[in-house]
Amino acid sequence: MSWLYLGIAVIFEVAVGIFAGKAQGFTKLWWTIGTLVAGAIGTFFLSLALLTFDVGVGYAIWTSVSGVGIVIVGALFFSQRLTLKKLLGIALIIGGVVGLNLAGTA
Amino acid sequence: MTTTTPIKETPVAVSERKAGPWASLLLAGTFEVGYALSVNGSRGFTDLVWSLVAIVFFLFTLFFLSVALKKIDVGIGYAVWAGLGTAGAALLGPVFFSETLTLAKAFWLIVIVVGVVWLKLADSPVLERKKPAKAAEPH
Repeated sequence: MSWLYLGIAVIFEVAVGIFAGKAQGFTKLWWTIGTLVAGAIGTFFLSLALLTFDVGVGYAIWTSVSGVGIVIVGALFFSQRLTLKKLLGIALIIGGVVGLNLAGTA
Repeated sequence: MTTTTPIKETPVAVSERKAGPWASLLLAGTFEVGYALSVNGSRGFTDLVWSLVAIVFFLFTLFFLSVALKKIDVGIGYAVWAGLGTAGAALLGPVFFSETLTLAKAFWLIVIVVGVVWLKLADSPVLERKKPAKAAEPH
């Protein structure tokens, strides 16, 4: 269940990343409200996940996988280039998350 | 008719303008660590005090990050901020809560931090522009 909570928290954090960009330094009202609402929901589900995960581990997975999600959404919907460099960063993060799992700490 | 005279900038003013955004970025990173720890301490937002602290930290982080990113490149800014937040939460989690940081855990967390910083830097418009190979590309 904690992984499901973390997954939901990631989805909302990806939304925060995209909405915050659209809010342009929080000058656009509705994107700013969207950022805050998505942030609140994401934070709530993160707190549920952290009931099980250690904060260091849960937070690291949450923020890093969200970063991967933002890059992938950017490539799919905002025509941002998915460079080899970005793919290497994504591979490192996935490797780290899998490693935490295999080490039995996540 | 009035003419506008450019205001001469003193060296102090220039250095302040350079240091300001970085101080904001460090503050944003510090508040992000506080945010992570207090979200954990809120126990699923059932603990009122920790929950309120988490919300305050969240708003502070957002504010200082947005101030910093007005001057600092987005990719570099996010890289520093996310790196600070992730490393800080991993290091301070065991200090404030009954958690342990084993060698294996620390190793994989470092891999994740490196991955996050790398990914954000790869997204930096400034660093991309500095590459001579790209500048030579025909449009």
